[in-house]
Amino acid sequence: MKLDEIRYKIDRIDRELLVLLQERMGLALRSKKFKEVVSDPGREEDLLARAERLNLDLVERSFTRQLLQTIIQESKRLQEEDRRLVAFQGEHGAYGEVASRQLVSNGAYIPCLEFVDVFRGVEAGDLDLGVVPVENSLEGAVTQVNDLLTTTRLKVIGEIKVPVKHCLLATRGTDYREIRVVYSHPQALAQCRGFLMRNKLEPHPFYDTAGAAKMLARESPKASAAIASRLSAELYDLDIIKEGIEDGSSNSTRFLLLSRDSYPGKGDKTSIIFAVPHEAGQLYDVLRLFAEADINLTRIASMPRRSDPGNYSFFLDFEGALQDEKVANVMARMEELAIGMKVLGSYPADSSSQ
Amino acid sequence: MKNLKLASREREERTVIQVGDVAFGRDFVVMAGPCSVESEMQTLEAARAVKAAGADILRGGAFKPRTSPYSFQGLGLQGLKILDKARRETGLPIVTEVLDPRDVSWVAEFADILQIGTRNMQNFSLLKEVGTTQLPVLLKRGMFSTLEEWLNCAEYILSEGNPNVILCERGIRTFENYTRNTLDLSAVPAIKELTHLPIVIDPTHSTGRLSLIPPMSLAAVAAGADGLLIEVHHDPAQALCDADQALTPRHFETLMRQLRPLHGFMRTLADETAKTAATA
Repeated sequence: MKLDEIRYKIDRIDRELLVLLQERMGLALRSKKFKEVVSDPGREEDLLARAERLNLDLVERSFTRQLLQTIIQESKRLQEEDRRLVAFQGEHGAYGEVASRQLVSNGAYIPCLEFVDVFRGVEAGDLDLGVVPVENSLEGAVTQVNDLLTTTRLKVIGEIKVPVKHCLLATRGTDYREIRVVYSHPQALAQCRGFLMRNKLEPHPFYDTAGAAKMLARESPKASAAIASRLSAELYDLDIIKEGIEDGSSNSTRFLLLSRDSYPGKGDKTSIIFAVPHEAGQLYDVLRLFAEADINLTRIASMPRRSDPGNYSFFLDFEGALQDEKVANVMARMEELAIGMKVLGSYPADSSSQ
Repeated sequence: MKNLKLASREREERTVIQVGDVAFGRDFVVMAGPCSVESEMQTLEAARAVKAAGADILRGGAFKPRTSPYSFQGLGLQGLKILDKARRETGLPIVTEVLDPRDVSWVAEFADILQIGTRNMQNFSLLKEVGTTQLPVLLKRGMFSTLEEWLNCAEYILSEGNPNVILCERGIRTFENYTRNTLDLSAVPAIKELTHLPIVIDPTHSTGRLSLIPPMSLAAVAAGADGLLIEVHHDPAQALCDADQALTPRHFETLMRQLRPLHGFMRTLADETAKTAATA
């Protein structure tokens, strides 16, 4: 091995160490929800003793102890801080995390494997807040999330529209002319098809955009790049070869912020879900209430009810808060008309999303 | 010139190439900026200055063909990103040189016009590659090339399916050594007789002397050129290449104040001549 090859490998290991530390700190913060006090001396001693049993000749026992103690110290400091645990679906660097960071500043952003894990985690109180995508400007409704919204006890307390700006990422020092293969989520690859074709790059589907970036940073496969967010580049120390490589111009995803409690303030936008009996004019009767009360609807979408095949749930977003008199009147009238109505909550509208 | 199937004047209408708000072949297009992208600060400053002075397009090299392998070779991809940033800030489209066929698709992702330099005029594999894109190509005249050779190179690009070729006269080698090259201004009307493609003048490399750039720019307008490609550096003494031939922003501004009115006058003159010819 030559010196630059050795250094390249060292850099890769350092990067991985830090990514693993990030994950470890996230787990430590989650553990706080299950403990009365942050410090647990028995557990600490266990941890140190187990590490010392490893027979590593270059990582001496005294060093191991010192290193782990430093990590435990920092982990306890983080747990003492009052950081809210904000769950999103995907790996670190996913667009869900981009939305989370914009919606909640100074939180601890916790990756979840599935959308249902976000919902269940917040519902159970293991996590404080959840951030989920409801619709994308190109792909339409995120059906899994909308389906979970129909049954959840959680309230919507905020929203944000995040512009999806795909970046072509590669490990530092990669010559862009050598890139042949590009890993990413199939949807991201599809959104960048023109770019990939123009530059004769072969798309390789991967389970997640940020996951592809993470894999790139960990394994550094030859002649490879990933398509993911700018945040992924920052988290995994990757080079942005080009930002904004998607084919269409305006591609954005709207995310909702979920909490166990309603938004404490007044809010200026409200989301509800309802279903109506299968009779002529029923949907019209509901919509007429909004028209007559002069309430502006910002979204209306329908989705098949899984629990009730052949019938539909309607998702309605409108301007105004539940505390407004005209909104309260319409809600009262709706109770009489609809077979199932669920109020997701009133919250501050993302002013940039109108 | 019997081999020119696509470039020759046999086609009646002149080619018009829209780039951003301006069109080569219709407007008088001024492209200005530093010889090479040296840093973000230097490029942004030059971009702001040429924009304020009324330039239409920003020039700047990320890949530099240098006489010596030890001279500054350009920032490459990083330079392209800086140009992209300058475009986002000023709104000026970008013209930048591409040297290597392997770079063409990548440079095309960042640039609005691909420039083929004088040394690469007859690099046929490069010409074919830029012909496969739909981006406008600024084809500089080889410093030892005849008009026929030059137009045959344009033909290479056109025959690959890219109709957007802009010719650029940048001076040819003669026995005269007071100037860096000899600006062949007769190429402007000659090219207009021979082809429907637009032609612009590079008064910087052709003269290589600061004092000659403004008068030759004005002469280019009078000769009927479709635009200019001029080097402007915010601090020419510090430039990493061609330091002694870049205009300062102030000089450029002065020149711009003369160029636009002269172009307006030449156009009125042409219109009147056409009117007289029509009534006669």
